[in-house]
Amino acid sequence: MDRKEGKLTMKIPKLFILFGILSLALSACAPKALKKCEVFPKMYAERPMSILVLPPINETTAADAKEYYATTVAEPLSLSGYYVFPIEVISEILKSEGAYDTEALVDVDPKKFREYFGADGVMYIRIKKWDTAYYVIGGNVTVGVHCLLKSTNSGDILWEYDGIIVYDTTARSSGGGLGGLIAAVIITAIQTATTDYVPIAKRVNYMVLQTIPAGKYNPRCDQDRDDPVVVRKTTK
Amino acid sequence: MRRSVLLFLLLGFLAGCATQKPLYYWGNYSRSLYKYKKSPTEENLKTHKAVLLKIMEESSKMNLRVPPGVCCEYGYLLLKEGKKEEALHYFDLEEKAYPESKPFLDRLRAKWIGKKEN
Repeated sequence: MDRKEGKLTMKIPKLFILFGILSLALSACAPKALKKCEVFPKMYAERPMSILVLPPINETTAADAKEYYATTVAEPLSLSGYYVFPIEVISEILKSEGAYDTEALVDVDPKKFREYFGADGVMYIRIKKWDTAYYVIGGNVTVGVHCLLKSTNSGDILWEYDGIIVYDTTARSSGGGLGGLIAAVIITAIQTATTDYVPIAKRVNYMVLQTIPAGKYNPRCDQDRDDPVVVRKTTK
Repeated sequence: MRRSVLLFLLLGFLAGCATQKPLYYWGNYSRSLYKYKKSPTEENLKTHKAVLLKIMEESSKMNLRVPPGVCCEYGYLLLKEGKKEEALHYFDLEEKAYPESKPFLDRLRAKWIGKKEN
């Protein structure tokens, strides 16, 4: 009897330590995380190496958004380890073939992109938000996108994610009082109007693309199956 | 046994959060390309071409692979200026670094170079 109790009391602290360590490790990352291989199993099954990014579809009223955004995709996607076809060259070739808008290419069979360019996957990007907002003592810029990667073998969706970033353009006044406040309002207005979208678009891309399983050129290729991914509902 | 599983789990979580050394040097690519697209002047084109060249130079200095598409994009710009030979050289560089680009480059070679010769 005594011995049994002894064993029990030994077990409890061990379990506590185990739980403690695990919960610490979990809390360091996001709470609602799933594993990459659970969320994007087809990505691991098909292992695409090269990705053709179509010119983004602009669903906002900002005329510049498409051009701005298109220049910021190649960098983060290449860092994820994929061969990214030169977006500029691709969009000129598509134009020379009569495809001026990606809207017209959405219904094209993804297999065509394998035949024509030798791509393993096609990326469709929709720009959902590209807004500038002012309020009395502040301002911000919002950039939101939805990205979808389709296989050119099966036509299946391999990976899909969306991201949104709100960038605060409110000026911080160092001096207090009414004078400082007025100065801050003016600076905010100027900063919001002339905000450089390139770094903001880049940040959205990095945020979105860190969820894509690493490709061939990234050293973590195939080692990120258990990496956590936060799954969220589509932002609208 | 249990301990090793625990350690493995912990390492996995930590690795997921750790930052890595970048794979590529992209320099000022987005910015110069954006500028050129917004106002396609001679000067902005020149700047963008210089940025592309710098990416290639810095990459070799840093012992990195040139980022995908950069050699091809540079070659394509040369092609539009009618510099066929030079363009082909950069297409070859792209293919050497990324063999998966071959079908696409072959199409570029056939389409544009064939067209200019006729």
